[in-house]
Amino acid sequence: METLSNGTTASPTATATVVSSATVTAPSSKLTQLAESLKLEHQFLRVPFEHYKKTIRANHRIVEKEMSAVISSVAEAADGDLSREDAVQHLNSLVSRLQGLKRKLEEGSRTEHLQAQRCRARLDHLESADTESLSEWNNTRLTRILVDYMLRLSYYDTAIKLAESCNIQDLVDVDVFHEAKKVIDALQNKEVAPALVWCADNKSRLKKSKSKFEFQLRLQEFIELLAFKSSTECATYKVLFETKQWDYLVDQFKQEFCRLYGMTLEPLLNIYLQAGLSALKTPFCYEDDCTKEDPLSQESFRNLALQLPFSKQHHSKLVCYITKELMDTENPPLVLPNGYVYSTKALEEMAAKNNGKITCPRTGSVYNYSAVVKAYIS
Amino acid sequence: MELNTIKDAFDRVAKKQKLSSSKTQEVMEQLGQEIEQALSKIRSVHDNTASQLDHKLILTELKTKLKEIAPLSHLEGTQKELNIALSKYPKLLEKSFNPDLAKAYRNVDFDIHTVNQIIASHFYQEGLFDLGDCFLSEAKEADAAALKTPYLEMYQILEAMRSQNLEAALNWAATNHDKLQQNGSDLELKLHRLQFIEILQKRGRDEAFKYARTFLVPFASNHMAEIQKLMACLLWAGRLDTSPYSELLSPIHWDKLAEELIRQFCNLLGQSYKSPLSVTIAAGVQGLPTLLKLMNVMTGKKQEWQSMKQLPIPVDLDREFQFHSIFVCPVSRDQASEENPPMLLSCGHVLCKQSITKLSKNNSTRPFKCPYCPSEVEAGQCRQLYF
Repeated sequence: METLSNGTTASPTATATVVSSATVTAPSSKLTQLAESLKLEHQFLRVPFEHYKKTIRANHRIVEKEMSAVISSVAEAADGDLSREDAVQHLNSLVSRLQGLKRKLEEGSRTEHLQAQRCRARLDHLESADTESLSEWNNTRLTRILVDYMLRLSYYDTAIKLAESCNIQDLVDVDVFHEAKKVIDALQNKEVAPALVWCADNKSRLKKSKSKFEFQLRLQEFIELLAFKSSTECATYKVLFETKQWDYLVDQFKQEFCRLYGMTLEPLLNIYLQAGLSALKTPFCYEDDCTKEDPLSQESFRNLALQLPFSKQHHSKLVCYITKELMDTENPPLVLPNGYVYSTKALEEMAAKNNGKITCPRTGSVYNYSAVVKAYIS
Repeated sequence: MELNTIKDAFDRVAKKQKLSSSKTQEVMEQLGQEIEQALSKIRSVHDNTASQLDHKLILTELKTKLKEIAPLSHLEGTQKELNIALSKYPKLLEKSFNPDLAKAYRNVDFDIHTVNQIIASHFYQEGLFDLGDCFLSEAKEADAAALKTPYLEMYQILEAMRSQNLEAALNWAATNHDKLQQNGSDLELKLHRLQFIEILQKRGRDEAFKYARTFLVPFASNHMAEIQKLMACLLWAGRLDTSPYSELLSPIHWDKLAEELIRQFCNLLGQSYKSPLSVTIAAGVQGLPTLLKLMNVMTGKKQEWQSMKQLPIPVDLDREFQFHSIFVCPVSRDQASEENPPMLLSCGHVLCKQSITKLSKNNSTRPFKCPYCPSEVEAGQCRQLYF
């Protein structure tokens, strides 16, 4: 535990430098917090870059393939016994082939350019986060997280609509998921072909991560070819024919897909929800008088948090029942004779309004302000 | 993390890519030219009788020439540089950011329907009804639109308020009169006040007076001062802007009232003012870095993490996420609970019951020294506190 607290205290100095030039007035704790939250944005920069890289590689492969084809075709012609007309025709076809390649490359470099721009837009977006205008930035982040969730769950229409309504198309990965959509749709229709094409396209990377996905696809394809389909009663084999197998393949594909693009395997929404719920969860959240402002007062949030750990506090954090303000040295807690505690501010105000009388809002007892005593919380 | 370094690294990638792309262009151009030259040569020897041999010769020449130029090997150099840049950049990203957010993820299945319901409610609460509907139909969640109707009503009221129409708001406040009073909200009076001023400005003194008699009188017993002020406004009819009460005309009142209305509306709905989804995600963004750091020191204890009942370390959140009073005994570091409540010593310091029992050796009359001041205190004199 000690090493951890050392780690947390050491980091502010290291990370605060990031944004310090942008805002000098904001307290350093806010800056540290912002810097820490920006560090969570790995996927935000990584995914468009992987997409960009993929396009570059694919374009280059085309060039290599076409050019060597042209060259070897020339060699063939030279070695062969062509008539003059044939030779002219042959070379002509090569010229037009090169022209075709040129057009293809122009198109390819347009895509590359767009994708590079997207990478830049994301860097700029991260840079635009400063402590002054954080709430708008945070809203955008929530939208991004929601779009990520929808894309992963194949709710494409809503994802696109949401991105458009907030004008953040460059900040979400709709394009990338388009590629996934084709494969997923096919798998849901019990077709493996598009998935196999995808595997071939990403062969080297899948190999690197020792993926078994292609094997599983082949296996499924093989099973489907078997004639005695689903009629088998033998449990060991019967399970192979269940439609669940296809759902399993879809899940597998999603995992491979996310890994390839450097995305988290879980939707960002789930990750942030878990972290948030754990940090917010206290035994008091489950009491009937839990304030509605606490998300954990809602049944749905309570359900999600059920299996998550409670938060831990090393120091007391007291919130005034009346004003909902923090009770600290500036606004110290005062104790009524009945043991109920309220903030100085709240009681002073109440006493001022009611000729020095204080009514405990929870028990209805009435006391003189002079009867309250200070509590020292350390 | 230094964003500028990352930007520079990306610029390097883009530069190398451009370089490689123009090189490709160049090589392709050259290849095309050679072929076209050969082509025109073959054509130009058209009239020559010895052409049969010539075009073969030209083809062979072309072949050797292409071999000499070796266009693909020209590309290798730039391609290699590009590849280096391409592999460096993700490494830099991994170093500068938290590459795996799921490290602190507990493998519990989040019920998809619950999550979808939360998202739909969020859209409705934010007034994004189209998105909410679209989402629910695409996610095939049939009965998660429970909050749509009430929020629709709320946004209609707000919409009307934006065009200075308080009718809907007043109706709502009147219908929920008792509940609002229970909450200690004077929203209804504030709405009437605004309406009164509107009438005074637009329809004159008599109408305003009539309005006051019907609608403001019921509030007289509890809000005398406020009503008196409004009555005084009647004397300034037509020139309220030059009166001591000109402040009442400020458009700020409209904004404030709209906010108060949202607050009360959500409260009566049993919902929070801020979308609980945004609150939780914001808390997650603040808490996650600490959890990820925790996972770095917990390597090898992944199993333990999956089953912990309480986080092993505090996750500090901002003030706005503090919804409950939590008392931590400064002696035992335990969080207070019903069985182990906080107690006030006679000197004013607060400890948990169990700590007091220990310090007093379970003797209610035996004095012991307060751990935080020189006072001698007795367990029997300690009082339980309620925060």
